[in-house]
Amino acid sequence: MFDILIANLPYLMKGTVQTLWLAVVGVGLGTLLGMGLGVTSAMIGGGVPALIGTYVFIIRGIPVLVWMFLAYYMLPQLGLVVGDVTAVIGALVLYTGAFVTEIARGAVMAVPRHQTEAAKALGMRKFTMLRLVILPQAVTLSIPPLLNNSVMMIKATSYVSVVGVWELTYAAREVVERTLAAFQIFLGVMLIYFLICYPLTLAARYLEKRYSYEH
Amino acid sequence: MDAILSFFGFGFIQSQLPRFWDGFQLTLAISAASMIGAVLWGLALVGPRMSGVRTIVIPIVAYIELVRNTPLLLQIYLSYFGLPLLGLPLSAFMCGVIAIASQHGAFLCEIFRAGIQSISRHQWEGALALGMTRRKAMRQVILPQAVLKVVPPIGNQLVILIKDTSLVSAIGIIELTLSGKMVIERSGASFEVFLFIAAVYLLLTTTFGVVLRIAENRLRARQ
Repeated sequence: MFDILIANLPYLMKGTVQTLWLAVVGVGLGTLLGMGLGVTSAMIGGGVPALIGTYVFIIRGIPVLVWMFLAYYMLPQLGLVVGDVTAVIGALVLYTGAFVTEIARGAVMAVPRHQTEAAKALGMRKFTMLRLVILPQAVTLSIPPLLNNSVMMIKATSYVSVVGVWELTYAAREVVERTLAAFQIFLGVMLIYFLICYPLTLAARYLEKRYSYEH
Repeated sequence: MDAILSFFGFGFIQSQLPRFWDGFQLTLAISAASMIGAVLWGLALVGPRMSGVRTIVIPIVAYIELVRNTPLLLQIYLSYFGLPLLGLPLSAFMCGVIAIASQHGAFLCEIFRAGIQSISRHQWEGALALGMTRRKAMRQVILPQAVLKVVPPIGNQLVILIKDTSLVSAIGIIELTLSGKMVIERSGASFEVFLFIAAVYLLLTTTFGVVLRIAENRLRARQ
């Protein structure tokens, strides 16, 4: 019954590796970018938070697919000779970054005020306070939403196939066009994505519950 | 000013406006149809989901977890290439709307459920102590409070839905995103086309967000 799926599994596994690679690089770098921007925005005054807020607003108001097309067409014309893969990874990084900025900023702001006041009273400088007092607490708070965000972005890596970058979803379409076995292949590939995403969803749910008991 | 505009290729974009307008209308139509479908589907799921009957709850939870943890794009493909094999010769438009409504309905079901469950037990107990039936307590005490709590997350979800309609470009529906790609490929235009498209999406999602916030404030004021 699943003979076509099984016969094409090696090819789909290659696609899975490419998907995982896109996810690790795109979501990983995007998360780092967002953490940097989020913490900066929560700790520094002046015009910086407004600037970062504008970045978040513009990125989140537009579909990630449009960002991918934009990066795909724009970077070469700006004289940046990058491959298709690099262009779409750029879009993934910027998109992940915008969501993570909000998560990181929220987590830093959620650390109770008296913690920072106590740290100041102890004579800590801003950076020491950030490292020893704020970040350890903020990181705990932000892990569940970061995991959920990663799931969202792993699913979004499939959209690069629309721009023409080869990965699991692109491979699935190729196989379906050749074999016409839409149900076997698409359901099979959905199961592969599910096996990647669901453990992360469960981990986020578990951690969220555990941390909420502490309060 | 003219020089700046022409540098960004706006003269060209102006000449292509009818194409973008067609695409924009289709994006609006898909968004509206999918929103209605998603809300109805979410409402249809939430009752059985909370029924407590294992044989009903387990398949619904399995379905919800599956669609929430797999890419919408694949669900659109499954709908577009799969439904005809089941003997349902639906248009690409319908297949796209079904897939989007199916995924966002699952997300909305969970939002509705969280809203209902967030209402304190005491409210239930109080209503039942006053002699209300469960149905009456649900309608007159629990739901009015739950509605206020779920309006903001529903709004967020619907904004995501609008953005997700760009994915039906993958099954050949010439909505806003695909209209941009086609203009680029047919006329050798440059990336400014997608700057324009991005601006239209930003305007659309922002306007929708503002309208939702006004509606939310009205609702809050009335209660």
